[in-house]
Amino acid sequence: MNTFELKDIAFSYSPAIQIFDGLDLVFDSRTTAIVGQNGAGKTTLVKLMKGLLKPSSGTLLIDSESIDKQTAAQLSKRVGLVFQNPNDQIFKTNVLEEVMFGPLNIGMSRSEAEKAAREALQKVDLESKEEDNPYDLSLSERKLIALASILAMDTEMVIFDEPTMGQDFAGKEKIKAIIEELQAEGKLVLCILHDMDFAAEIFERTVVINQGEIILDGQTRDVFSKKEILEKAYLDQPYVTQIAHALGYSESFIHESELIAFLNKSN
Amino acid sequence: MNTMTLYVEKDSPVHRLDPLVKLLYVVASIALTYILPEPLFIAGVLFVTLLLLVIGKVFRNSLPILTLSMFLIFSLVIVQGFFHPDNVTELFSIGPLVFYEEGLYVALVLVLRVLVMIGSFSVLILTTSPDEMVERLIKKGMSPRIGHVILSVLQLIPQMRATTSKITDAQRSRGMETEGSMLTRIKAFFPLMGPVVLNSLNETKERSIALEMRGFGSSTKKTFLNEEKQYPYNKLLAGIIIGIVILGIVWRVMA
Amino acid sequence: MSIIEVENLKYRYPDLTDLVLDDLSFSVEKGECLGIVGENTAGKSTLCYALAGLIPHFYKGAYGGQVTVNGLVVREHEIADIVENIGLVFENPFSQMTGAKKTVYEEVAFGLENLGLDRNEMHRRIEQYLKLLDVFSVKDKNPFDLSGGQMQRVAIASVLAMEPDVLILDEPTSQLDPQGSSEVFEVIEQLTQRGMTIILVEHKMEQIAQYADRVLLLHGGKQVALDTPEEIFSRPDLKGFGVTPPVVTNIAKALNVRYPDSELFPVTIKEFKRLEELK
Repeated sequence: MNTFELKDIAFSYSPAIQIFDGLDLVFDSRTTAIVGQNGAGKTTLVKLMKGLLKPSSGTLLIDSESIDKQTAAQLSKRVGLVFQNPNDQIFKTNVLEEVMFGPLNIGMSRSEAEKAAREALQKVDLESKEEDNPYDLSLSERKLIALASILAMDTEMVIFDEPTMGQDFAGKEKIKAIIEELQAEGKLVLCILHDMDFAAEIFERTVVINQGEIILDGQTRDVFSKKEILEKAYLDQPYVTQIAHALGYSESFIHESELIAFLNKSN
Repeated sequence: MNTMTLYVEKDSPVHRLDPLVKLLYVVASIALTYILPEPLFIAGVLFVTLLLLVIGKVFRNSLPILTLSMFLIFSLVIVQGFFHPDNVTELFSIGPLVFYEEGLYVALVLVLRVLVMIGSFSVLILTTSPDEMVERLIKKGMSPRIGHVILSVLQLIPQMRATTSKITDAQRSRGMETEGSMLTRIKAFFPLMGPVVLNSLNETKERSIALEMRGFGSSTKKTFLNEEKQYPYNKLLAGIIIGIVILGIVWRVMA
Repeated sequence: MSIIEVENLKYRYPDLTDLVLDDLSFSVEKGECLGIVGENTAGKSTLCYALAGLIPHFYKGAYGGQVTVNGLVVREHEIADIVENIGLVFENPFSQMTGAKKTVYEEVAFGLENLGLDRNEMHRRIEQYLKLLDVFSVKDKNPFDLSGGQMQRVAIASVLAMEPDVLILDEPTSQLDPQGSSEVFEVIEQLTQRGMTIILVEHKMEQIAQYADRVLLLHGGKQVALDTPEEIFSRPDLKGFGVTPPVVTNIAKALNVRYPDSELFPVTIKEFKRLEELK
């Protein structure tokens, strides 16, 4: 997949509340973070992309071909979504079976699905738990199982919904590694985030949504330098950016390493 | 509106009744269907029950529950219509299937009774806010823990309803088809129900702990924020309901 | 006497073989804000439950040692008696709403009804704490119609209305968006200024650094260290415990910006700036 485009999208849950009106957005090979407050429309956007919701007007296109007629199940072959709460999807009593559910649904043979599931479990470091009951594992491990179950489907695009919520340092590092690997494999990666620091660290592009509108879209570095606009959406800058600003520097920093290098040089 | 209960918030004469009176009605109406097990009498109780639903402006809200029980009703008709031991008099037949009068009569009684049960419970649950009912029961001396259990059970269905759409989204996202043939829908059942039930249980557990930390289960005598609510015609209505039940018993004994 | 005293606390969940809390001993002073940090399996939530009495009263299992709150030995008193001394706010705002009350006002009353307070006292407290948590304006709304941040503030108000001397917050912002999070931290700021004793479990290290007087570092159920934020976050071995210090401390470490004549690094941006300018 090269591009996923939302063209002139309008959507509302009820006549009174219009979420999107004339939304235009194109996702490409740049890893992209989507940030904004709850209720801004991030989840709605992603559901529209997955075919779980249908827009009242406008088109969705993958590589310039319309996908409006496809069902969510059909789309799941090309676009994967890792949901926030693993308890919303895990229903098998065996980890391997659980991770195989998606692959089997999209048409892989049993042996293909098994292989894909094992590889995915390896990526999240849980291959030793293959035979376990998912509900005997901790919540963080279950989140990784949910993640593996999407990775196993080997979709061209992967969307994450708040993958770092409630994660500790080790968990975040694991997710970071997976995202970097997906990008290396040429997949399109999209991530809904509340964690500005995580967004700044690994995403090339950041889109800021506020009340159904895109208020910022571009290089992560540029987006996070726009303090006033972020403030309007009640968002903070990443800590690295804040620190540089507090020290009086006007340049925009988003990585710890670059700020350290810069400060070293100035000393 | 985001409510966690089946309670339909409206203003109607039925809404304003004492929850205990409505509870009494549930017991009485079901009892009557056993005391006087003739289709005509039960139909009468059913009529009153449906009337209460209409007056309570919740008739439309009770339809989903009623239709769900159609499956049960349908199977009752089949089983009794065919297989009742007293089946002698043939009424009609559909192909090789023969329906007998005796069996169908029994089926009719059962069906009407089931409808009365569902209907009267609906009157109670759709027009009574759970906390009001539990508060009333606690004031009358029921243990608060049982009250909490009742509340949890009443919250279970709407809770599951809320999580079902989230879970359906997650499973559809993994390629599960939900539309289409009956077989497709049946296949979709387990990926949905498993997480729905587990989620509900999990949330119930989390809520229990939170309630513990709010002093729930304390042996101290509970007080109430709200003034004692006055219920109109309380004793009169309770008296009438009990009176009718007694009449029914008398009738039965005399007949 | 300290407001909380933990002596050789050990705990194992039923049906599990490993100790989740392994010989913890520490005390918390009145008016102190104690931060608790550690990776996900360190035992932070379990410790919160043990301080609040949920262990051993709600969660059975193997229990050793002693926890004393306000002079009460937790093991020897029912939770219902403990809740006036120590309150606990959980991660998920949604499951803290009783579901039994139609309005925020009544929701906050729930705990007070359980305590058997008279109506006047209930009204007084409910108004006071709704205002303190800035949710008075939504007092007539259905609790489930609120935003995550508002719901969490109602949960805090409901617990505070019972007027405990200690408030434990177990990852209170983990499920909230940035706005909700900052609303809750503003409350914590206010409470610490009012002298409330607070125990705060968080992954957001910048906030721990800002509000905590001392930080308890847990790993595998064991007490690794209990010290000031500067002491804890300046440790070079943090990664081994699955913890990362505030971003500003990482930068300070890399640039060797530290307190004069000391091994300690700053943990807030303000301090970093001050020390940087000193150089």
